Amino acid sequence: MLGLHTAGGYPSSGYNNQPTASNSGSYANYTSYQYPNYTSDTSSAYGSGSAPTTFQQQYKQWPEYYSQTEVTCAPGTEHLSAAGNSNHGSSLPSVSGGYPTPTNQPQPQPLPLPPPPPPPSLNPTWSQPGGAASGAHDNYWNQTAPSFQTHLAAPTQPLYQNSLDSKTSYENFQELKTAPQGQNSQYPVYQVSQNYQPTSPTVPSFDARRVSKLQIPTNPRIASNAALGIAKTEKDGSAANSLPRPAYVSVAVQKPKDKPTMYPKSLCGYVERAFGRYKDDDKKREACEAFMKEIITEAIAEGTLYTRDWDSMPLFTLPDSHSVNTNYKKSPIRRSKSRWEPLPEVKMLDKPVSASNETGKFGSWDKRTFNGYSATKDNSLSSFRFSASQQKTPSKSAQRPMKRQRIVNGAGLTNNDDDASSDGDKDQSLTAYYSGAMALADNPEEKKRRESRSKRFERGQGHRPDINYFKPKNAGPANLYTKRASALMLSKSFDDSANQAVEDIDWDALTVKGTCQEIEKRFLRLTSAPDPSTVRPEDVLEKALLMVQNSQKNYLYKCDQLKSIRQDLTVQRIRNQLTVKVYETHARLAMEVGDLAEFNQCQSQLQILYSEGIEGCLMEFAAYNLLCVILHSNNKRDLLTSMSRLTQEAKEDGAVKHALAVRAAVTSGNYVAFFKLYKSAPNLNTCLMDLYVKKMRYQAAVCMSKSYRPTVPISYISQILGFSNATAEGNGEKVLTGLDECLEWLKAHGASLITDNTGEMQLDAKASSSTLFMPEPEDAVAHGDSSLAVNDFLARTS
Amino acid sequence: MAYLSMGESHRRITDYLNRFADAINYQDGDSLARLFSVSSDSPSLLSLADALNVFQDANRLIKQSEKFSQFGEVVAPFFRSLQCYRLGNLVDAYGAFEKASNAFIQEFRNWESGWALEALYVIAYEIRVLAERADRELASNGKSPEKLKGAGSFLMKVFGVLAGSCDLQGKGPKRVGALYVTCQLFKIYFKLGTVNLCRSVIRSIETARIFDFEEFPIRDKVTYMYYTGRLEVLNENFPAADQKLSYALTHCCLSKEANIRMILKYLIPVKLSIGILPKKQLLENYDLVEYNNIVEALKRGDLRLLRSALQENEDQFLRSGVYLVLEKLELQVYQRLLKKIYIIQKQKDPSKAHQVKLEVIVKALKWLEIEMDLDEVECIVAILIYKNLMKGYFAHKSKVVVLSKQDPFPKLNGKPVAS
Repeated sequence: MLGLHTAGGYPSSGYNNQPTASNSGSYANYTSYQYPNYTSDTSSAYGSGSAPTTFQQQYKQWPEYYSQTEVTCAPGTEHLSAAGNSNHGSSLPSVSGGYPTPTNQPQPQPLPLPPPPPPPSLNPTWSQPGGAASGAHDNYWNQTAPSFQTHLAAPTQPLYQNSLDSKTSYENFQELKTAPQGQNSQYPVYQVSQNYQPTSPTVPSFDARRVSKLQIPTNPRIASNAALGIAKTEKDGSAANSLPRPAYVSVAVQKPKDKPTMYPKSLCGYVERAFGRYKDDDKKREACEAFMKEIITEAIAEGTLYTRDWDSMPLFTLPDSHSVNTNYKKSPIRRSKSRWEPLPEVKMLDKPVSASNETGKFGSWDKRTFNGYSATKDNSLSSFRFSASQQKTPSKSAQRPMKRQRIVNGAGLTNNDDDASSDGDKDQSLTAYYSGAMALADNPEEKKRRESRSKRFERGQGHRPDINYFKPKNAGPANLYTKRASALMLSKSFDDSANQAVEDIDWDALTVKGTCQEIEKRFLRLTSAPDPSTVRPEDVLEKALLMVQNSQKNYLYKCDQLKSIRQDLTVQRIRNQLTVKVYETHARLAMEVGDLAEFNQCQSQLQILYSEGIEGCLMEFAAYNLLCVILHSNNKRDLLTSMSRLTQEAKEDGAVKHALAVRAAVTSGNYVAFFKLYKSAPNLNTCLMDLYVKKMRYQAAVCMSKSYRPTVPISYISQILGFSNATAEGNGEKVLTGLDECLEWLKAHGASLITDNTGEMQLDAKASSSTLFMPEPEDAVAHGDSSLAVNDFLARTS
Repeated sequence: MAYLSMGESHRRITDYLNRFADAINYQDGDSLARLFSVSSDSPSLLSLADALNVFQDANRLIKQSEKFSQFGEVVAPFFRSLQCYRLGNLVDAYGAFEKASNAFIQEFRNWESGWALEALYVIAYEIRVLAERADRELASNGKSPEKLKGAGSFLMKVFGVLAGSCDLQGKGPKRVGALYVTCQLFKIYFKLGTVNLCRSVIRSIETARIFDFEEFPIRDKVTYMYYTGRLEVLNENFPAADQKLSYALTHCCLSKEANIRMILKYLIPVKLSIGILPKKQLLENYDLVEYNNIVEALKRGDLRLLRSALQENEDQFLRSGVYLVLEKLELQVYQRLLKKIYIIQKQKDPSKAHQVKLEVIVKALKWLEIEMDLDEVECIVAILIYKNLMKGYFAHKSKVVVLSKQDPFPKLNGKPVAS
């Protein structure tokens, strides 16, 4: 069913149609549109007469199935029976189709779907894999199932070849995908390939299927997995078969027709490049896929698939190519749980393009398939063979549409909710499934292979959240991206046509809702839409803030952490007291180490937040603001405006009063007052004044050398200019150090010093008046901003 | 509003159109200017506005005859603007007026002589005033006021037309209009708080060869000097500010008391900071009493009075931007105080008069209810010597200010306090 939908939808108009149309509607469309195409394509390209016929039959059947499926869906028993009939293989294909899509597009969320139950339902429905999840899904599944069945009947000879082909193609795929995008695509591919391999072409598909079915009831998840695996295999086969066809899958999956050959690497690279351009845009991706299909079909028709120079082939400017790749990349495996989990409302809103129900369902499917995935592998292997051999052409065609549908759904769906917390559980469950699957698996070698492969994926995937198969989180974000991107696109078009402004965008719908539960997170400047699975929700951010505040690590670490917190707040559009607290904390830390740039950032944000009426240490930061203008920008106009903005209440606040006093001291050059204020500064006013101290001291020294005669005692200078800040404690030793420091400083600035008859060091004012100079700052750097000098910065902060 | 017949409306509109056509045909700039002055609320324009509101299809009248239709692009939006203005819809009035102005500028560009400069002045003025009112309306509706900014860029365009009109011959008849537009721009920029935008206009006025400052109308020169003088006050460049504002003051028409007051508002602080005090009569004549106490404090060396005067008018001074200038007068007050001490000592004992003990100064400040410890007073003294407000030196050991026997308190005499 899915495949059909997708196929129809894609070529014609794209996802939009599907979403709006109910499942039934979409089905109808599919049947009408693509079926004919498929049949013709397959026939022409492959030259196998049986394939086309089977397809047609299947198509016809679809609608029927659909109607039937709804009925059957509810009862698990029906499914079971159906499953027996339909074969795992059939179910698998459908699953596989679904998988790729969901994976690609970050699990769209199954909001509508009846969550957790799906796995069990799946099991019963094995015959019709789709049916398990939800009613709607069921329908899909059923449809797919029939198609499979038909395939089974039709396909006979090609089993071996198909399986081989599929394997190779998968591998190729994997390679291709992995190379460019890495692990995302690989995961599903791997499993699929594994399945294929284990299955010996000769094995009777029927038996295998039955066996698997039998097993399935025991482990619903496993069964689902198996189904998935089958689906994948089928996909491969289908892909190979369908190359000429317009299926989405065909682009990525498309592989040599009958031969086991894979697509040329250059082609894969090309495809990836094409898709890579539209990661964020569902529509474009779709369009891109359609386009790619055309191109590849054409190439196959011309027989130039392998001879063309794909590397140098210019990319067309179509909108979406990603969906296919993404599907592969994102293996549904981990997502299953997350998808079930509560999806954010955002998704629903975003859906506009894709149908919400379908998407949700799909997401669920992915999960299921994913769950079952590992387990099923073994089982599916046998079934796989069968399906592959028999169904090759037909199944492929059917599957392709399925895939497409899934993809579409996935694209449309937004999975915000993947819970990070659940990941661990999911993983565990996965491993459990795997083990189960292993037991089922006949070949220990295969197990090893799988393990190693899965490990590979894990390693690679760790970095990319989107790609991670294991983490359900990823799926969600992808959907969000697409939604957002589409929303942006929509808004743009609006602007063009009717001057509609940004205000018309439903930002609420686009706002990310984080799911990450990790308290610690490194800051990384976003280069694309945020991924909910890496964004922490508010309560976690609060903990993160506390953690930073209590951390003993240095400023660099804290700054990094705070920036990531700020980022998470921003992308989730959280603007409340927590936001203020975070910015205040960061501003204070930045001040403490003299990081003016960061401080100014925080300060300007705080001004906005305060002006929105959010409570915070308003006075404290008003004082900082004043000090900043006075000491560091020296812009009279700015100073006047900030002063005139102060309320009467503010003027009576201690910190603000202090800042104003500092201002007066600076404008009049009153160094005594300045250093008195320096010592008595409230909050972190000292830190801001710190940055002006050098200048003030120099001014004072120049002034004193001109107005004092004959000498000034160093001890006095030291005291006046704030060198001996320990005098208050009366600790003689510290006074001495202050004095020494003062001496050093005076020497460095070219003062001439003498010792009077009592042995006290004196500043020779007259002599110094002509020799004082401001030394080149030792930390001066070529670009003029010493704060950018890494070594110095590290020294100050650590 | 009294009932207005259709016929009467028709007559008024046709009358206006006739006058408009005549003004252009006869190149009568003054008449044309009057026809554009929306905000002048002149009776003829108001009655025209009423007529327009009764007779809704004025555009047909314009298109009817060849004579009028050639001005259609100017007059039609102008009518709309007038209508909106009459109905109190200032945002739309501004929008329509800008459209009319744009069309007018296109025409103006093609006229070789500068006969229509008067009309252009009116348009430049109206566009600013309408934009200000439209912004007020927008702000009261909670929308972001942006019309004045738009008027600023429109006037920049006008400035370009005027400045560009005389490139070929080196001197064109329209260039003298550039300063008026510049002054309107100044007003906008000062109102918007984007004074840094003034710089580019000033540069082209002061450096472009096509402009001869003495050639501009005197009224524009005064306005220009006033605004550039204010900019110098912000930069605390007192000699330049003094020069510009004095120019404005001496050339300002004596009957324009409000303008003189505006100039004095900035000129007085500038003069004070270069040591020149105004007569009390002047302050009272121009209602600048807020400076009274400050002048008095300078005369008496009364730091307390200065501070209280500053605090009293803090908001006003901050808004006009002279607060920081006035605050710097503190040093002169200290100087005056020390001079008084010196004079008293001289009367008591001329031989020791040039030695002022720090304690004495502290005591004097205490009488003024200003608490300062020795260190701070010492610092003040050091600064006074450093800034050449006092000649002499400070002996730290004995805590005594030793004053020069010759002119210990030099007068500023029009020079600013050394920085």
